[in-house]
Amino acid sequence: MIELNDIHVTFNKGTPLETEALRGVTLSVPKGEFLTVIGSNGAGKSTALNVLAGLAPTEQGSVKLHETDVTRWPVHKRAKLVSRVFQDPKMGTCEDLTIIENFALAHGRTKPRGFGSAIDRSMREATAERLKVLGLGLENRLDDKVGLLSGGQRQAVSLLMATTGESRILLLDEHTAALDPKTADFVLSLTKEIVESLGLTALMVTHSMAQALDTGERTIMFHRGRIIFDVAGSEREGMEVKDLLDLFQKTQGEELADDSLLLS
Amino acid sequence: MSLDSFFAWFFGWFPLSPYELGGTFETGFIFGLVALGAYLTFRILDFPDLTVEGSFPLGAAVAASLMVGLGMNPWLATVCAAIVGFGAGFVTALLNVQFKILHILAGILVAIALYSINLRIMGGPNKPLLRVDTVFDTLDFVPLPGIWLNPIFLGLVIVAVLAAVNWFLNTGNGISMRAAGANPAMAEANGINVGRQRLMGVGLANALTALAGALFAQIFGAADAYMGIGVIIVGLASVIVGMSLIPSRTILIATIACVIGAILYRAAVALALNADQLGLQASDVQLVTAIIVALALIAQYSGSSFGRSRRKGAKSEGDKSEGDKK
Repeated sequence: MIELNDIHVTFNKGTPLETEALRGVTLSVPKGEFLTVIGSNGAGKSTALNVLAGLAPTEQGSVKLHETDVTRWPVHKRAKLVSRVFQDPKMGTCEDLTIIENFALAHGRTKPRGFGSAIDRSMREATAERLKVLGLGLENRLDDKVGLLSGGQRQAVSLLMATTGESRILLLDEHTAALDPKTADFVLSLTKEIVESLGLTALMVTHSMAQALDTGERTIMFHRGRIIFDVAGSEREGMEVKDLLDLFQKTQGEELADDSLLLS
Repeated sequence: MSLDSFFAWFFGWFPLSPYELGGTFETGFIFGLVALGAYLTFRILDFPDLTVEGSFPLGAAVAASLMVGLGMNPWLATVCAAIVGFGAGFVTALLNVQFKILHILAGILVAIALYSINLRIMGGPNKPLLRVDTVFDTLDFVPLPGIWLNPIFLGLVIVAVLAAVNWFLNTGNGISMRAAGANPAMAEANGINVGRQRLMGVGLANALTALAGALFAQIFGAADAYMGIGVIIVGLASVIVGMSLIPSRTILIATIACVIGAILYRAAVALALNADQLGLQASDVQLVTAIIVALALIAQYSGSSFGRSRRKGAKSEGDKSEGDKK
C-alpha cells in the first residue's frame, strides 16, 4: 500500500535554477497492484519514485507506506519497507563484493545484520535456488565478484536482491532502459513473474509507452510535475500507444512532443 | 651449523645489522597497524583520512601520560590509547557525516587540533618513559634477547589484529561497511546507515593508528608531539606498495599485503639510509618516503593490473556521483 498525499518538491529553491519537480501529487496504490508510470524527461516520474524511496526531500505533503507515515524517514530506514532496482545495473549491486555477499546485504534489509558470519549454508542454498531460475548459471558462481558479470546479469541479480526478504513494495526506475532489447525483454518478463508470484506492490517507471501498457494493471502519466491521467481496468484494456497520445492531447490541449518518450 | 654460526654467516653478507633487521621488523609491524587502518579508510570506506597524523602521536601521548603520570599498567594504558584514538577518528567522521565537511578537510582539522591537544596531554613537546615498565618490559620472563623478543611479540599482535579485521569484514556489519564504501547509494537502498558505517570505520582505523603510536612510544622510549609527521604517507605507502606487489582478490590477501607492504617499506627506508654511497642521513627519511611512494604510484599507473582496476574504480565512482545527483 502506497499513499502520496499532495506532494510538493522543489529543487534549488530560491536560486535562478529553481524547478518545481512535483506540484501537488496525490496517488494511492493498493496492496498488490502493479502500476506503470510514464512521462517525458523532467515530468516528475523519477522524482516521485525518489520521494517514495526517501531520496527527494518533500516540501509539503505526506508519504505513507503500509499505513505508516514515513515522510521524515531516511532512505536506509525505509529500506525495510521498500526495495528498489536502479536504471544503471552498476548501481543496484556492489561490484567489489561477491554475488553471495550482495545477497547477504539484501537479506540485511529486513533482518538484523549483527556480528555473526553474514553467510551460512542455508542462505547459500536458498540463493542458489533463486539464481537457478534465471538460467544464467550464476548459481555456480556465488563466490565470483559481481563486477565480473555483464550488465544484464547484474540487473537480474539486482531484481532478485530487491525481492529478497520481507519488503513488499518494489520500485523499478527504468530498470530495463540500459539493457539491449533481448536482455531488456528477459528482465521485464522476470519482473512480471516475480511481482506476480510474490504478490508485491510494484511501481515501474518507464520511457516506453508500449511497455507501460503491456506491463502491470494500471498506468499513470506525469507531465510538468502533475499526474495528468490515470487509467486502469476496462479503460486501459485494449489501449494502444495512439490512444495514450490522444488522451494526452485531450487533457493537455497540446501535442506531446518529446523524442525521449518512446512511441513504439 | 649452529644457530650462532648461521647468524654470523647471515649477517656477514646481509646489508643490515641484526639490530637494524630487528628494528625494521619492529617498526614494520607497528606501521602494519597503521597500514591496516589506512586499508580500512582508503580502500574499504573510500574515505581518505588524514586524522592519523594526529592520532598516532595521540596514542603515544595518552599511553605515556597514563603510565608516567598515573602509574597505570602499560597494557591498560595502551588499550586506553586505542580507545581515545577511536574518539579522534569518530570526530573526523562526524564532521564529515553530520556537518558535510569534506573528508580530507575534516581529517586535517582534527589532526591540527590534536597537535595542541597532544601538547596539553603531555604537558610539553614530549614525554620520556623513564622509570616505568612498558608492555615490552612486562615480557621479560620470556628467555629471548630483546632484539628478537620485541619483533616476535609485535608480530603476534599484528597477526591477532589482522585476524580480527578479517573476521569483522566478513560479518553482516563488516559487509555493510564494505558496501557503504564501495556503493553508498546501493548500501542506503539496502537499509545500511552509511553515515554510521563511516563513524565506526574511521574510528576503528584511528584506534589501530593510536595503538601503533602507543606501541611505538614504548619501543622508542618516549612520546613526542612531532612523531606523527608523515604517518599518513607511511600508511598509504604500505597499502600501495603491498597491493601493487601482491594481487589481492580477497580481503585476507589484501590485508596481509598491507602488512607486508609496511615491512618492505621499512626495509626499503633502512636500506636507503644504510647505503653509504648514497650519502643519506636519518633526517632524509621523509624525502626517501615520498620518493618510494611516488615510485610505487608511477609503477602502478603505468600498466600493472592494479593500475587498471584503480582506473576502473575511478570510472565507476564517476557513475556513482551521477547517480547521486538524480
